[in-house]
Amino acid sequence: MEHWWYTLPLRLKSILLRRRMERELEEELQFHLEHKIEEGIAEGLSPAEARYRALRAMDGLEQRKEEMRDLRQVQWLTDFLDDVRYAMRSLRRTPGLTAFVVMTIALGIGMTATPFSMLDALVFRPYPVASPGEIMTLMSSSRDNRYDAFSYREYMDLKAHAESYSGVAASLPLSAVGFSAKADTTPVVRGGMLVSGNYFRVLGVEPQLGRGFRDDEDTVPGRDAVVVLAPGFWKREFASDPSVVGRVVRLNGAEFTVIGVAPESFPGMLIFSRPEFYVPLAMAKLFSTDPRKSFFVDRDDRELLVRARLKREVTQAQAQHEMDLLARGFEREYPKFNRDRGAVVRTQFELRTREDDVNWKFSVIFTMLALGVLLVACTNAAGLMLSRARTRTREIAVRLAMGAGRFRLIRLLLTESLVIAILGGLGGIGVGYAGIELLQRFEIPADLPVTVPFRMDLRVLTASLALSVLCALFCGLAPALQSTRMDLAAGLKTADVDMPGRRRLWGRNALVVSQVAMSLMLLAASFLMVRGFRSSLGEGIGFAKDHLLMVKFDPRLIQYSEAQTQQFYRLLTERLRGTAAVRSTGLTQNPPLGLDSFEQLAFVPDGFEMPRDRESFQTKMDTVNAGYFPTMGIGITRGRGFAESDSAEAPRVAIVNEHFARHYWPNEDAVGKHFRMDGRTGPAVRIVGIAQTVKYGETFEKAMDFVYLPMAQHAAPRMVLMVKTSGDPMQLVQPVKDVVRGLDPNMPMIETRTYEDLYRYASVDGPQVAINLVGTFGAVGLLLAMAGLYGLVAYNVARRTREIGIRMAIGANQMDVLRLMMGKGLVLVGIGTVIGLGLGFAVERLLNSMLFNAGGVDVLAYLVVVPVMLLVTTFAAYVPARSATRIAPTRALRYE
Amino acid sequence: MSKPNDLVQGTLDLLLLKILALEPLHGWAISLRLRSISGDVLQVSEGSLYPALHKLEQEGWIQAEWKQTENNRRAKFYSVTRLGRKQLETETANWQRLSTAITNVVQISEA
Repeated sequence: MEHWWYTLPLRLKSILLRRRMERELEEELQFHLEHKIEEGIAEGLSPAEARYRALRAMDGLEQRKEEMRDLRQVQWLTDFLDDVRYAMRSLRRTPGLTAFVVMTIALGIGMTATPFSMLDALVFRPYPVASPGEIMTLMSSSRDNRYDAFSYREYMDLKAHAESYSGVAASLPLSAVGFSAKADTTPVVRGGMLVSGNYFRVLGVEPQLGRGFRDDEDTVPGRDAVVVLAPGFWKREFASDPSVVGRVVRLNGAEFTVIGVAPESFPGMLIFSRPEFYVPLAMAKLFSTDPRKSFFVDRDDRELLVRARLKREVTQAQAQHEMDLLARGFEREYPKFNRDRGAVVRTQFELRTREDDVNWKFSVIFTMLALGVLLVACTNAAGLMLSRARTRTREIAVRLAMGAGRFRLIRLLLTESLVIAILGGLGGIGVGYAGIELLQRFEIPADLPVTVPFRMDLRVLTASLALSVLCALFCGLAPALQSTRMDLAAGLKTADVDMPGRRRLWGRNALVVSQVAMSLMLLAASFLMVRGFRSSLGEGIGFAKDHLLMVKFDPRLIQYSEAQTQQFYRLLTERLRGTAAVRSTGLTQNPPLGLDSFEQLAFVPDGFEMPRDRESFQTKMDTVNAGYFPTMGIGITRGRGFAESDSAEAPRVAIVNEHFARHYWPNEDAVGKHFRMDGRTGPAVRIVGIAQTVKYGETFEKAMDFVYLPMAQHAAPRMVLMVKTSGDPMQLVQPVKDVVRGLDPNMPMIETRTYEDLYRYASVDGPQVAINLVGTFGAVGLLLAMAGLYGLVAYNVARRTREIGIRMAIGANQMDVLRLMMGKGLVLVGIGTVIGLGLGFAVERLLNSMLFNAGGVDVLAYLVVVPVMLLVTTFAAYVPARSATRIAPTRALRYE
Repeated sequence: MSKPNDLVQGTLDLLLLKILALEPLHGWAISLRLRSISGDVLQVSEGSLYPALHKLEQEGWIQAEWKQTENNRRAKFYSVTRLGRKQLETETANWQRLSTAITNVVQISEA
């Protein structure tokens, strides 16, 4: 390395200060020469003799200089710079074509950069911790759920017994915590993270201020109310005040002492959200999400995400082996909770690319489409470069004839491609940046800040530029190889020469065919996605989304007991019912098509024969009150809805949807049937009604099982109030506020908005972004294919001008010429279309299996896409072909 | 590259490094120094001197600096770098090994 220290400045100087180096070389030798001459004169030689002797001593001054120049070992680089300069000059001679090729590549690269930034953010970006490669995620796995969390007790056992790791840490995100900086202020909702005492140490994260947790601060439940602030939160909420350490803040009404601030470099381990503070796991009771479960005791209260740092000398396979043994130990010791349960060790990459991950699916689909566009762009650019190289046959022939090496010429031509590709790459970064901006503008309507992690960072930039260099090689190599392998005599005679043999035309034809095929596939894909989303929207969501105001409440934020919470909700709905403009009210844990996921219920249906390998079934569920169904307009098709009488003391009841009823009791009436909750051992629940099947999570989801439980029997503190009116729902904000004030002026109203807002963001805007992206891919693909075909035909017309002239001179009419020029292009389009259809079907199957859960072929999509494709490409071929029919025979014959 | 000279192959580098290790010099002074030190035994063509200097510079063994000479003329002075001193040590050791070996061979008495 030291070598570089001395020689690099020298090299740089020889490149950048070429003239000065020359001058200095001259001066140095001159200095020597003068002394030598003086010496000669002093010895009594005549000045002329002395000069002659001096020159002889240096034997050949110019030769010496050349020798020294060679010594600088930068010849290749100065050659390259010469090439670049030459390439720029020659590209400037065909500005239109150059601009077009640059734009083509810019589009290709730009459209790849956007999805790559997604892929990077969602999959590849490493954890922001020290040696992120050593961090493993440990998960419990069962037949029903391959990636389950661990319970607190299980975590403690893992921490005590697993020896593959230098540390095992656990965390649990808290989505809504009431935070107030002072005792007397109304709490605001903030998101935080419960973490084990060793969390920061295992991750290798040093607080920028104060300290992290001590081990003893995470041992006694409820004892140590200490909090570490996240950097962003500290900046926003405390104006980066360093005296914050030692201060007392309130979380869910309890006092916590700030002990430190996490570093800027650690925004947290989650992709989409950033915790704003960290509190020890031992404080979990205060933030408990489910009052029915006992976090510190229940071995099956599985909520913890466990991460561990692998010891240097231990492989993942060894760690997995140890986990298998530990899991078997759990199974032996706690058969009730751990029957058929295993445990897995996963790297970040494995975790993020597991088959059920929607982020992964989306990024892969987009990246594949983008690579398709890039391929079309590159083949297009290659075609254009090829035709450019061919029209320069003569220049290349002259250079070859004058003795330029073939390798040297190829390098020159490749330099041209490289210049184009770098320009295109830079343009592409601009396009990509715009695309990412677009993605970032998609905001999510939540009170908690949701981070959109897509950004144009160094990784994306590097990838884009690397792609453009690859593009250059791809676009430039074939034309460079072909055009430098020529018959010199023929090349010198005419400006353009068509080589005998079909091989080289085959290359161009393949380009056009693949362009047509790829863009047809892209168009079909975007059309299918649009239709997929549209048709799923068209199916309807099954409930009325208009005239609804929603407000979220979480009485835990102000320390309500369970009884107080129930009382609050009862009074709230009662008083609202008496308010003018309120038609009805309902309470739900989670409104449909929102952004939160539903709770899962493990149940065993009565009289249903369980498959041998299953303990229970899983279904999504919601907790609602009696008013929910009428307010949302979800019909009860059989049996009854919930009633006030379904109280905590009354027999347990549930309402299932039609899909559920048909699924488990296909030929019977499900009303009156029972199922057991929480697996085989839980309480028996009687089905009292059947509700219409609606859309729950996504507008494009397949009909699925769903269960509703009455809120009196399945208490959840955090509920969403839905208020129906006949007018503008925003008019209800004030009346609702008044009622809440009347009940408790301290009760925070979280996320007050119309339901339509939420619906639009979650179910329309999101898919729309995807549709727009894919649609743009398709449009760009079509544009590129069009340009490619136009180029091919125009090139042929130019090449065969003379032939056309002759044909017309001997009596061919315009139709014949048109047929001659377009015929082959259309055949190529035909072949491309057939291949494109095949690709389209494949993509459709992929989309259906990944997104829409639909089967079959969307004939209409192809009925639209194929004719559009044919029309556009025919037009692209027609325009230049038409100009061929205008060739005057006399002029054409004189041509060349 | 250059004409064969009277030096043992590859020793020019060693000589230049050695001379420059004593003090920084410009090209002309180096050629004078070479002549005077070695008497007339070692003949270094002045033509090969500069390419050799530039080669050493490219290797990072010596570095150049434009300075005033005692006659107030601008000249390019060469001095040995840290890397060059290491190289000098190696080459000196090599030379000593080689010359001992050659001496040994030459001194074998014919029996």
